[in-house]
Amino acid sequence: MSKKKRFGISEALTRGLSETINVVENNSGLYRNVILPLSRIELDPDNPRKLAIDLSDIRHGLRPDDPRFQQKQDELERLKELAHTIKTNGIINPIVVYKNGEFYRIVAGERRCLGSILAGKQEIEARVFNDKPKGFDLKLIQWVENTAREDLTLDERLGNVKEIITEYQHQHGSVEVTATLLKNITGLSLSQSTYYLTALNAPEDVRIHIQNGNIRNLDKAVLISNVGTPEVRSQAIEACINGSSLKELRTLITQQKSLSRMKRSLSSNTRGRVAAKVNLGVTPKPEVIKIIIDSVTNLKQFDKYSNVFSQVNWMDLRQVTKAFRKLIEILETETVYDRD
Amino acid sequence: MEIIAFVNNKGGVGKTTCSKLMAEYLSKTKKLRTLCIDFDPQCNFSHQYLDMEIDPAAPEGLIPPIHPDYNPHDPDDIDWDGRSSIAEIFYGQGVIPYPTYVEKLDIAPGHAEKLLTAESVRRSEVVDKVHKQLSNFLNHPDVQAEYDAVVIDTAPSKGPLTISVIKAATHIIIPSVMEEQPVQGIYGMLQLWMQESLVREKTRPLHLIGILPNMFKQTRLHKDILRSLQDNPAMGKYILPVKFSQRIVFAEVDAADSTPRSIFDFPEQHVAKSEAEEVCSYIAERIFA
Repeated sequence: MSKKKRFGISEALTRGLSETINVVENNSGLYRNVILPLSRIELDPDNPRKLAIDLSDIRHGLRPDDPRFQQKQDELERLKELAHTIKTNGIINPIVVYKNGEFYRIVAGERRCLGSILAGKQEIEARVFNDKPKGFDLKLIQWVENTAREDLTLDERLGNVKEIITEYQHQHGSVEVTATLLKNITGLSLSQSTYYLTALNAPEDVRIHIQNGNIRNLDKAVLISNVGTPEVRSQAIEACINGSSLKELRTLITQQKSLSRMKRSLSSNTRGRVAAKVNLGVTPKPEVIKIIIDSVTNLKQFDKYSNVFSQVNWMDLRQVTKAFRKLIEILETETVYDRD
Repeated sequence: MEIIAFVNNKGGVGKTTCSKLMAEYLSKTKKLRTLCIDFDPQCNFSHQYLDMEIDPAAPEGLIPPIHPDYNPHDPDDIDWDGRSSIAEIFYGQGVIPYPTYVEKLDIAPGHAEKLLTAESVRRSEVVDKVHKQLSNFLNHPDVQAEYDAVVIDTAPSKGPLTISVIKAATHIIIPSVMEEQPVQGIYGMLQLWMQESLVREKTRPLHLIGILPNMFKQTRLHKDILRSLQDNPAMGKYILPVKFSQRIVFAEVDAADSTPRSIFDFPEQHVAKSEAEEVCSYIAERIFA
């Protein structure tokens, strides 16, 4: 007997129905997409983005006596490029606004908005929040929008994170914001969160240079902030301003650190048992040993020993270790004789 | 005032029959002052209660009859042609509902040509001229004061007329036959529900009462499709636990000279009557409880 046919609705339709229901259940009353007249849109004075140019500059043109004329002029040029693409392709993502009295205040999309006005548009597509987002949510949306941008300075990005933390503490009481908490709030990786926190708590000198735009890279800022000694730090800052790469900075700092550590350890009083021996340490680089041995055997006093080391394979760490022990032995013997 | 709309962009799934049963249940059984609105240019709902006329000058379809309150000699009626349909809302005119043979039940009938014209408004004007009009009308204090419930029958489309109903409604019910094509119609309506829900303020949400299986037959096809909808984790809770079966008597009472004219006037033990009461009381409970 053949199996009875079973009927059902198609898979595509089932998926469509379920998806639609889920969208409604998760998002109803959240926001709506509308076309807004640009004349009803205002910028958010608290947006962490520090664009000098504002609506009236765009609408009425720049005034030559404006103290920030040059900066605004540069910004205007960049906005004109954006306006050109808006003219031909429109904006791809709607801006995000919330209703503020008569006007709609921008949460995200300042440049798109200014660009659209420059492009001669009258309206702009916007996503309108039905309620004014709470302080913290607002900052978070601006943050999320801004992290996608590349032309934001480090100072602006740090300002952003700082405001998120402030709003979060405002809402949740003044809890200590750890990297893990910041990670959960912003969705950044744990290491990025740690970096941002470090840069926010950077020593005064580093902070000043971040604000001036002398330090523009988060990784560099963190690297320099972690330097405890003020002298080394100021050297690192200088190197950074002079365009050192992250790698170069790291090398510089390691060198300086080991130098200062050596000074410190030589001068400081040692704790614990009185040392009876000198530890010669270890190195992964056999060349170091070759240099030491060569320098010693170049001394007239020791040149008779040079043939002892002539057969050493300098690539073989075991052989090099043996050779170095031999050298120490020789030196100990020779110096003992000397003293005698 | 609760505004209940039966919607499905697939035709022939029983929107008009469900609207009629619901309106009669609310007015006859629940004694609620109820207004029927016919938003379908085919005007079938109107024809249930009024002798709709064919106007030779309006070849598009039916027009409402002369209103019983119309008096051509009354100076108040001097600017009125004596007919009034729900389509007047698109033309800035007042709507004068007609009484029906059922106590507490009024109807604002359709007007084929005027509704079709409203539907064909240019795209750029549709939002202001069509989408908001029904909601404006139903939010008018006079209308709010006059009725406890509004039942709207809609056109089988996803066009501006249906959208204006969705925008005005407080509750929607999607009747559907348990077959592939009408279920696709459910999808179209859920899309409208979604778009509207995202826009609405949280304080006055658009409630989807659910999908009402209609014209149900005890066949493998209908049973399997109903089961697959019920078993779907997202959709299951929106499939109503009540249903209308396929019964010729639901169609028979639609005939002009049928007696009795309403299912609710059938004898108490009549199977169609008890089914109608079960479905309508369930829906009314969900809306008015």
